[in-house]
Amino acid sequence: MSYYALLGALEQGLVYGIMSLGVYITFRVLDFPDLSVDGTFPLGASIAAILITNNFNPYLASLFALLAGAFAGIITGVLNTKLKILNLLSGILVMIALYSVNIRIMGQPNTALLGYDTVFTPFENFFGLERFVIAPIFFVFVIVILVIFVVWFLHTDIGLSMRATGDNPKMVRAQGVNDKFMVILGLAFSNGLVALSGSFVAQSQGSADVNMGIGTIVAGLASVILGEAFLEGRSVFRAVVSVIIGSTIYRLAIAVALSFKIGNFQLNPSDLNLITAFIVTFALISPNIKKFIRVRS
Amino acid sequence: MIELLNVKKVFNPGTVNENVAIKGISLKINQYDFITVIGSNGAGKSTMLNLISGSYIPDVGSIFINDKDVSKYPNYQRASYIGQVFQDPLSGTAGSLTIEENLAIALKRGKKRGLGLGVKGADREFFREKLSQLGLGLENRLKDRVGLLSGGQRQAVTLLMATMVKPEILLLDEHTAALDPKTAAKIIELTEYFVNEYRLTVLMVTHNMRQALSLGNRTIMMHEGEIILDISSPERDQLEVKDLLEMFARVRGEDIVDDKLLLA
Repeated sequence: MSYYALLGALEQGLVYGIMSLGVYITFRVLDFPDLSVDGTFPLGASIAAILITNNFNPYLASLFALLAGAFAGIITGVLNTKLKILNLLSGILVMIALYSVNIRIMGQPNTALLGYDTVFTPFENFFGLERFVIAPIFFVFVIVILVIFVVWFLHTDIGLSMRATGDNPKMVRAQGVNDKFMVILGLAFSNGLVALSGSFVAQSQGSADVNMGIGTIVAGLASVILGEAFLEGRSVFRAVVSVIIGSTIYRLAIAVALSFKIGNFQLNPSDLNLITAFIVTFALISPNIKKFIRVRS
Repeated sequence: MIELLNVKKVFNPGTVNENVAIKGISLKINQYDFITVIGSNGAGKSTMLNLISGSYIPDVGSIFINDKDVSKYPNYQRASYIGQVFQDPLSGTAGSLTIEENLAIALKRGKKRGLGLGVKGADREFFREKLSQLGLGLENRLKDRVGLLSGGQRQAVTLLMATMVKPEILLLDEHTAALDPKTAAKIIELTEYFVNEYRLTVLMVTHNMRQALSLGNRTIMMHEGEIILDISSPERDQLEVKDLLEMFARVRGEDIVDDKLLLA
């Protein structure tokens, strides 16, 4: 694997790590399998793209992407808690609705960002470095800030209530917490992060595409599960850090798999789903393998 | 003071499964009352508790807490008045959170929750002191996840959480039924300790007749969604377990007659 491919995989691991943090909040904290992320990820990209191509400040554009994602999350939450639609279905409804919305937002299925200022531009100009070096460093900073923020949030009074809601809604209601509100808030938070991730991906790869969200939930889950397999431990801090580690390992594993070559046989990008299935399966059975090895030795 | 006024609850109205769980009961619970509730399965005991807690909203009638009409309040809005311990020891606590985090959630019952740190340094000392009252050694395990505790320990923590902010009424729904006899005795002992210590008003559902008569100052017997006996001390002190059993047999006997009429 080349130096470029390694840096690229690291960058992807970090930027999709933001998305995985969002998936962690719904999937693990709230115990809510939220499929709307497949729609909110390109939503973030679309919003950022249309604003940036209209010469908006890219930071402001990313913030708007985050807010739009949060709003979509609120809709999923309202469908589930107020209108009593099954959680999986609420997410699917928002996901497919956003496909049309995203095309409306951009006015076309994809938007190129080449030549426009992005969140990296100030740093590129200041340090005089190429984007493929700047982007991973930029994302490291963003990730550190977000990890601290998420860990802090999950230890506040509201954060404790949110974690307890995913664990035992009966208990939180008895303690005076509106569990429905917690679900909506968690979905807003989660989808805000996912959309932010989408806006960053669009800016780093130079385009937004309405189909870029396909498989977001799978990648997010793969990262969460891989992270748990690599970093055991029950504390919130360890769990949140493990999501980022999982996301990075996932992208590295894919990069390694794609550079793999036996004779004339080589995996190509269309084999990605198969690779993902193998990686997730491996992560899911790894605790049993570990136990098996421990018992044997 | 809690008052139920002509409260009625029907499940699945208008369907073949229609079930009149509570037929229209009125009950006045005075301050410092410790009421034990008995009755056979399906008598409406748990439904009555759930109506008071707000888990169910009554179809007809009103519920007052301190002269405030809370009939339409969902349970989380009534929680500032109500402490609850459930039959399932896993129901009252969140297993994936630590002991101190669970207690921090309980400490904020009825108060506004914001973005302040959930467990503060000063709280820990308070939690330790409270946990030591349980006599289970939990005061040294603040950072252990609740999921690691036994059912009895979790029920004791739930009891603590229900009373840490003093409730207007403590609702106990067969809270020892799922425990082994020794643990159940310990939980009853703790219940009495907390009730006396904080002078609590209590409504406790139990299947244990002896417990129903030995605990508290007042006993209610329910049958088919109605209160068929409401007796307080000193009259209650004359009552024995066999008297209660006789009363049960009598109301059940009527059932059999009814069934015969139906089947004839």
